[in-house]
Amino acid sequence: MALIKTQCVEPIAEEAREAPRDCAGLISRLAASDPTARRWAARDLVDCPEAAAALVERLKQEVDVSVREVILTTLTSLGDPIAIAGLVDCLRSEDTALRNEAIEAMQQLPDAVAPVMHGLLADPDPDLRIFAVNILESLCHPQVETWLIEVIDQDPHVNVCGAAVDLLGEVGTRNARASLQRLKARFANEPYIRFAADLALGRLHEN
Amino acid sequence: MSPTFASPPIWHLGDFMKTDPEQGTIRISAEDFQKFREFFYRKTGIQFDASKRYFVDKRLVERVEATGTGSFRGYFTMLRFQASGEELQALTNLMTVNETYFFREEYQFRCLVDSLLPEIVERKKNRRPIRIWAIPSSSGEEPYSIAIYLLEHWAGIHEWDVEIIASDIDTRILAQARQGLYSLRSIQHLPSHTLQRYFKRQSGGYQICDDLRQSVEFTRVNLSERADTRGYRDFDVIFCRNLLIYFDDVSRKTATETFYDALRPGGFVCLGHSESMSRSSSLYKVRKFPEAIVYQRPLEAA
Amino acid sequence: MKRILIVDDAATVRLYHREILETADFMVDEAMNGIEALEKALQTGFDLFLVDINMPKLDGYGFLRELRGQDLPQAPAIMISTEAQTNDERRAYAAGANLYLIKPVKPERLLAQVRMLLGELHP
Ligand SMILES: C[S@@+](CC[C@H](N)C(=O)[O-])C[C@H]1O[C@@H](n2cnc3c(N)ncnc32)[C@H](O)[C@@H]1O
Repeated sequence: MALIKTQCVEPIAEEAREAPRDCAGLISRLAASDPTARRWAARDLVDCPEAAAALVERLKQEVDVSVREVILTTLTSLGDPIAIAGLVDCLRSEDTALRNEAIEAMQQLPDAVAPVMHGLLADPDPDLRIFAVNILESLCHPQVETWLIEVIDQDPHVNVCGAAVDLLGEVGTRNARASLQRLKARFANEPYIRFAADLALGRLHEN
Repeated sequence: MSPTFASPPIWHLGDFMKTDPEQGTIRISAEDFQKFREFFYRKTGIQFDASKRYFVDKRLVERVEATGTGSFRGYFTMLRFQASGEELQALTNLMTVNETYFFREEYQFRCLVDSLLPEIVERKKNRRPIRIWAIPSSSGEEPYSIAIYLLEHWAGIHEWDVEIIASDIDTRILAQARQGLYSLRSIQHLPSHTLQRYFKRQSGGYQICDDLRQSVEFTRVNLSERADTRGYRDFDVIFCRNLLIYFDDVSRKTATETFYDALRPGGFVCLGHSESMSRSSSLYKVRKFPEAIVYQRPLEAA
Repeated sequence: MKRILIVDDAATVRLYHREILETADFMVDEAMNGIEALEKALQTGFDLFLVDINMPKLDGYGFLRELRGQDLPQAPAIMISTEAQTNDERRAYAAGANLYLIKPVKPERLLAQVRMLLGELHP
């Protein structure tokens, strides 16, 4: 027995040449009993723009986290309005892990998320508004600061504001100064808000 | 200098370093440093404490200049909002050391022979070879180190077949790896008897002996390309050091999902010493062995 | 000196809790999600964990469940949530929390609860 040279790296080039599997077939494979088959179907569906609805449907009932992760990655790549709507639904789920996975996915989709952001930040459920702020954390979009300023100016909930101030410490400019000061006054009895606002004020990009 | 997960510094608000590193016109303030430090930590998992301030500032200034962004403010905005993530990658490159040499991070090879392989062998129900994938292989130091380590330190090598597959995206570097010619610097951590046993002296340095060169398979793979990785299955251990840290969030997640399907259930992933699965994926079990922390694809539910 | 691990994805929250705890002479380390927290807990002993619920990659419940399943000396954990949902509270205890607090936590309250769980103070 010893170190041996591999015999079984499959002829990869050959497989790449194979005709792309049809989208309908892949969609039906999303329901296969073997999780490996479901993972591969979810992964390959990235080439099927019309697959978002089926993926979202599967996501809601998928019990295997490894399949779920791949579905979310594919939805992120598709990034169309149907995918976004599906991800927004996930934010309302009771399942913490699924919610956080959806937040991470949406962070990658600035252009698709932007049109729905306003609605999310105005949702009656404060938890959902916090998740919306969490999406802004890593979102590459020029409006991030504007959204955050609106939140700290208007949101009545201390933890929604608390999450927004945290991010303003990273992306805030002088435009946020007055709002941060007003926020401090509004929650004068909350040591955390005072602390966070002062920290953000000290870090504003001003010069 | 190498960034690590060292415990964060003890520092207090208002007690930032007061010194101003004299760096021409571009100035990184204490608040800038803190802001950057938190951002970089969130993105890469690398934590710089206050004692690294000079090191970090110097590199930031270098990138501010190289990108023509003019100030820390302009540069940080680019870093934070650039959709491609290219600048973060360039900066990460600058902030981390990237040398590869024989027996680098040796504790991980010890972990392989003393902890991982015994567990793998124990679980194995057939006599099929044990499969190890080293990606990226770079110029070959890492996969050859694994081979040498197995031959030198693992008694099981007499009972089991082991396949080592080493992959990289760069064909030139693969050619170099196949040739196996190394500088003195690259072999300096090898014990002399190991050097004598597995290397030949050449005019340009030391060359890996033919037997070893024959026993590692080098292949070209782009880890981010589904078609490239599809055939890679049934591995027991994957070494992926110092690559994911340069990937953006999505590529990193995709790569760890790829590894999931490339591994046998119960198989292990070893990352570089400044990398953590905490920035990539929750699919793996965090396993602590005496030598290292390793990530395991869960065994199939019974 | 007692060691406390703060697990939260928000940098400001980590810093806020760090300030409070360090002023009271605790040693503090931080992690920004459940996986990193687990890695740190496996490498170093902590006397107490201060854990947020919603975090990327591995949330607070997941972290506590994993932690409680490890062959380690077990330390008390405080779970900190943003909402007063009774459901969260029940789930926190089920996952292995010893105490459940609502954000934002006032400094005195945090210190009192921490000391109580560490057996330094009796309620
Ligand atoms: C930073 S080195 C790591 C080498 C070694 N593992 C070490 O720890 O020093 C990066 C290597 O990754 C390779 N690489 C970069 N992108 C890759 C990709 N997408 N797939 C495979 N290899 C890649 C490069 O060609 C280079 O050889």
